[in-house]
Amino acid sequence: MNTNDTALPARKTLIQHLQAPRVLIFLLLVMWLPLTAYVMFGELLGPHKDMILIPAIPATALLYAIAVYSWRESWVSVLGVTLVFFWLFMAVTAPFLPLMDPNKPLAPFTLPGVEKRDHLFLLGADFKGRDILSRAIWGCQRVIVWGVTATLVAYVVGSAFGLLAGYLSGWWDEAISFLANVLLSFPVMVLFILILNYLGPSGFNIIIAVTFASAPAIMRIVRGLTLDIKQRDYVFAAQTRGEHPIYIMVVELLPNVRGPVIVDACLRLGYTTVAITTLTFLGLGLQPPDPDWGLMIKESAKTAMLFKFSYMLIVPALSVSTLILGFNLMADGLREMSLRD
Amino acid sequence: MARDRNRGVHPRVPELQRQLADGHIDRRSFLRTTTLLGVSAAAAYAMAGVPAPAWADGMNMPFPKDDPKARMGGILKVGMQVQKMEDPATYSWVEMSNQTRHIIEYLAMTGPDNITRPMLAESWEASDDLKTWTFHLRKGVLWHNGDEFVADHVVWNVERWLDPALASSNVGLSTFSAMREDSGKKDDKGKPIMVGRKGAVEAVDKHTVRFNLSKPVLSVAEDCYNYPTAILHPSFKAPLNDNPIGTGPFTLAELKPKDRCILKRVTKTTDGKDFTYWGGKVYLDEIHYYNFDEDNQLTAFASGDIDAIYEFGIEQYELAKALEGNIIAARTAQTLCCRMRVSEKPFDNKKLRQAFITACDNSVYRDLVFQGGGDIGENHHVAPVHPEYYALAPLKRDVAKAKQLLAEAGYPNGVSVTIDVGNTDGPWHQTVCEIMRDQVKDAGIDLKINVIPPSKYWEIWDKTPFGATAWTHRPLGTMVLSLGYRQGVPWNESAYDNPEFDKALDVAESIFDVEKRRAQMAKVEKILQDDAVMVQPVWRPVFTIAGKKVHGYPPHPTQYHQFNKVWIG
Amino acid sequence: MALIMAVTSAILFLVFDSEKFKKQIAVAELGGFAVSALSDDDYNAWLEKKGLNVPFYQRYGQWVGNVLRGDFGLSLETNEPVGALVWDRLKNTGILAFWVFFLMIPLSLTLGVLAGMKEGSKLDRSLSFIAVFTTSIPEIATAIILTVLLALGAGWLPTKSAMTQGFDGWQLVLPVLTLVLYDFGYVARMTRASMAEVMTSQYIRTAVLKGIPYKRVIMRHALRNALIAPFTVIVLQLNWLLSGVVVVEVFFEYSGFGKLLLEAALFGDVYVIQAATLVAVFVAVFSQIISDVGYTMLNPRIRFS
Repeated sequence: MNTNDTALPARKTLIQHLQAPRVLIFLLLVMWLPLTAYVMFGELLGPHKDMILIPAIPATALLYAIAVYSWRESWVSVLGVTLVFFWLFMAVTAPFLPLMDPNKPLAPFTLPGVEKRDHLFLLGADFKGRDILSRAIWGCQRVIVWGVTATLVAYVVGSAFGLLAGYLSGWWDEAISFLANVLLSFPVMVLFILILNYLGPSGFNIIIAVTFASAPAIMRIVRGLTLDIKQRDYVFAAQTRGEHPIYIMVVELLPNVRGPVIVDACLRLGYTTVAITTLTFLGLGLQPPDPDWGLMIKESAKTAMLFKFSYMLIVPALSVSTLILGFNLMADGLREMSLRD
Repeated sequence: MARDRNRGVHPRVPELQRQLADGHIDRRSFLRTTTLLGVSAAAAYAMAGVPAPAWADGMNMPFPKDDPKARMGGILKVGMQVQKMEDPATYSWVEMSNQTRHIIEYLAMTGPDNITRPMLAESWEASDDLKTWTFHLRKGVLWHNGDEFVADHVVWNVERWLDPALASSNVGLSTFSAMREDSGKKDDKGKPIMVGRKGAVEAVDKHTVRFNLSKPVLSVAEDCYNYPTAILHPSFKAPLNDNPIGTGPFTLAELKPKDRCILKRVTKTTDGKDFTYWGGKVYLDEIHYYNFDEDNQLTAFASGDIDAIYEFGIEQYELAKALEGNIIAARTAQTLCCRMRVSEKPFDNKKLRQAFITACDNSVYRDLVFQGGGDIGENHHVAPVHPEYYALAPLKRDVAKAKQLLAEAGYPNGVSVTIDVGNTDGPWHQTVCEIMRDQVKDAGIDLKINVIPPSKYWEIWDKTPFGATAWTHRPLGTMVLSLGYRQGVPWNESAYDNPEFDKALDVAESIFDVEKRRAQMAKVEKILQDDAVMVQPVWRPVFTIAGKKVHGYPPHPTQYHQFNKVWIG
Repeated sequence: MALIMAVTSAILFLVFDSEKFKKQIAVAELGGFAVSALSDDDYNAWLEKKGLNVPFYQRYGQWVGNVLRGDFGLSLETNEPVGALVWDRLKNTGILAFWVFFLMIPLSLTLGVLAGMKEGSKLDRSLSFIAVFTTSIPEIATAIILTVLLALGAGWLPTKSAMTQGFDGWQLVLPVLTLVLYDFGYVARMTRASMAEVMTSQYIRTAVLKGIPYKRVIMRHALRNALIAPFTVIVLQLNWLLSGVVVVEVFFEYSGFGKLLLEAALFGDVYVIQAATLVAVFVAVFSQIISDVGYTMLNPRIRFS
């Protein structure tokens, strides 16, 4: 991927050491697990739950540095990565920033830049008098965690079925492909509405809904790639060694389909973020009181339909747009780079 | 005239007059109770020694006085949820009744001032024991098909409500439940089937109807303006929109549920004669209802599509203030009950409930949530706007005592409880709970707020151990207590069961005398308050808005639309 | 296709047969207070009145029979015939979709072709960026920004599109603009990619080298082949539009198909959901087929093989 690799420098620099897959995965986990635990199971963590996020902060910073370094040739990716990591950084540092409690009602309808009740509302206050800056920043936590987790689960499920269908063929393929076709014939939003209305609105149910909506498409991609790769020598080698099909699928096939899948994943992260925001706006997604962008839009859409108060709508709208822009630019840059190689 | 009007006066009215003079009761209670007992509003105002306000005129009409500046004609466009128009006796939403409120009418009518006046009935009297009520019907009322409105029509309607096959919610009202008896038969579950008692309602002559009740009921007139009690023509067959025959000034021109409901003035009866409305002048030509969900009504008003709306929430108050229009606020007995189900753990522990309630400060919600509007709730579900309201000593927050109670309850290290909030009346429910969370924290109670969508909340409202349920306005304090806190009644969401309370309430409901009833209410309120069933933080105001060109738009505590004297200009 | 529809509708019937859903319908229709006051008998009587107490396979069989005769049943919420209701709303969405395509197709094709003609040019690069940018802003955000700028700020357009006083073209501007802005970037990029690929192909190079005027090369040779891929993409946008309109219609209060679907789902109005889902699935599958057939017909390589 990197031209430096071909130059074979005498000693790898520190940042090149860090580019090793194992280190990356370790850093990702250190960033991700605490954040997920914090958002999904914050209630169970007790009074010191903020502490859990401390290791995630350096991990996030380090990952950002590595990403910028690796993708420095494509300014599009760097811009994308910067946007995404801006929000990631906000997500992991939110409890340590000098922010108002995002759920504390202070001074309703305070305009941006006005000081009221000893608090400067940089981005104003909403209809309940909660600080919008604080809500926008805290809001990214939920959107990012649920969005990424949902995409991840969809990938695990989609890839598993894709591998099964592609590798085993036969009636496995028939059955899985039919199921996928049924699901794919629904417009996505229709599927979301039906599933969430049945299961009831919550973060975990969003994961299920996103999985139902996204996994079939992922399964198709993975299935196609698997059909292609399964003819390769190393798969035959493994088969003649007598390895279990599951071993072959996970160890031999999976790592080799990852390339195109990663670009797709970046795009899909964007879609999922849109979906979560939209669903929450429609009242089918995450539930109040904790802040998130879709909810901020939903609440402001009926209280702030006036030019004077439009900051209440603009702030969450721009927040979600920048995050999705980040994901899409990242995907664009990655695709550009993969084409160049 | 005066003598004539006083003929049917209840023997207790002079006594009330004395009480008023002595300052035992205020003018408001006097007016309420006397009109309730059959004195026309005008006469009541005269007895109270105050000039009659605009709506109390000599014709014994329930409507406000004609406005000399009023202009005839025009269309009033209202944003409201437009629903189907099936059977008025089984209406389940106020919106449904508003759609037909100007087509079909009621025996009585409760005005924006919470006073109930005669409508299709011209006057009424009650017996001393409040068990026999006689309604004198207005003469010269015409149906839209040209028939004359007579006593038999009322009897037909009431008997219809009593039929168990119809499943009208009217039988839940004290008046009509006192007309039923056990049929002796049991349903599959072994519950007795209740049917209408023979002779419970009778036509004395062409224009007189008598209700014979099995127990004393004070709220007969009020019950006759509950939204499913509109009087239908005996030819009625559901759905109403197929053949809407009423006595009102308007009839249905077009109905498209979830889209629009268009009402037009009736000028001719269906058999071709001229139709004269009994209720005097009506200014509007047409009333248009356009479907907007509650959330979107104010923004639709802002965009200029409509002239008035059903309701907007406090969270939209700032937006409303910034708009071109008149905000119309009504003081009500609508409230939020953060009630604990006393049969469920841990709320079966009275000490715990008391600890929770002692840790709350009810006096702050009014200011924090409603910007100073509304009234402070006192955890006994009787509102200051109710005539029989007795002001108990104000509740005091006492954190130390709350902690001590909590320790006595067996939670010396604090306790964690979860409240279900459905925001069924808007996001202010949640705001209330958030304030409550901060308050009880000081006493070592960790309140978790579980927000669920409104429709899901209605599935669990009477089952959840701890939930915030919205209760609507009812004209009398005893009405809501009977519905929600007697042992075993269907809406007893807190599973409250105290025979002493039931007995005290029975007594209160049989006392006509407001002063004495109020003394009895002190007892009733105190029992409920001491049993620590709920935190009932605030009585909320309801808001609506009307355009500057809309005149005489009445603020009603239950959002009933009364547009007879509304004019555009 | 018929199989897929049969399977989905059977699943939907099964799902909506659950006790939970019947209760949801009861609560939506009668209100929570009233439902809890009902005795079991009253509740069962209500179910019977609504025809919900029949076992679901029986209802399903009946429903399929009726649908084949063109009868979609009555809405539980409004008691109107579902067929007319869905058709009415579909017409409104159709108007919306027409204008979206009317604006989006020329705009995205022109921009895409121009950008693809000279890969790497200033126009190409700015188009790519604009396309990523507009497709990255979710519809809800676009709707908000447009409303704030054009309706609340400048006051040129109405904020909502409820059309209470009959059809009003001005009220259609914001929803159409929102959908076009969100969608044109994607189609433009597809067109650009397809055009760029054609431009680098041998026969175009040969044609240019042979001295055929550049304009003619583009018009006669390049365009035809470059527009195959965008055609399929555009047809597939129909499918996307059915998802996309939900949030736009809800935000702008436009009584279309998307709003109907959401409201029916929230109420639990089974027959409306069934009909709407069938329509959605039909449109999705149908557009897929058209795009496949069209692709085969337009593409000589596939046509002759």
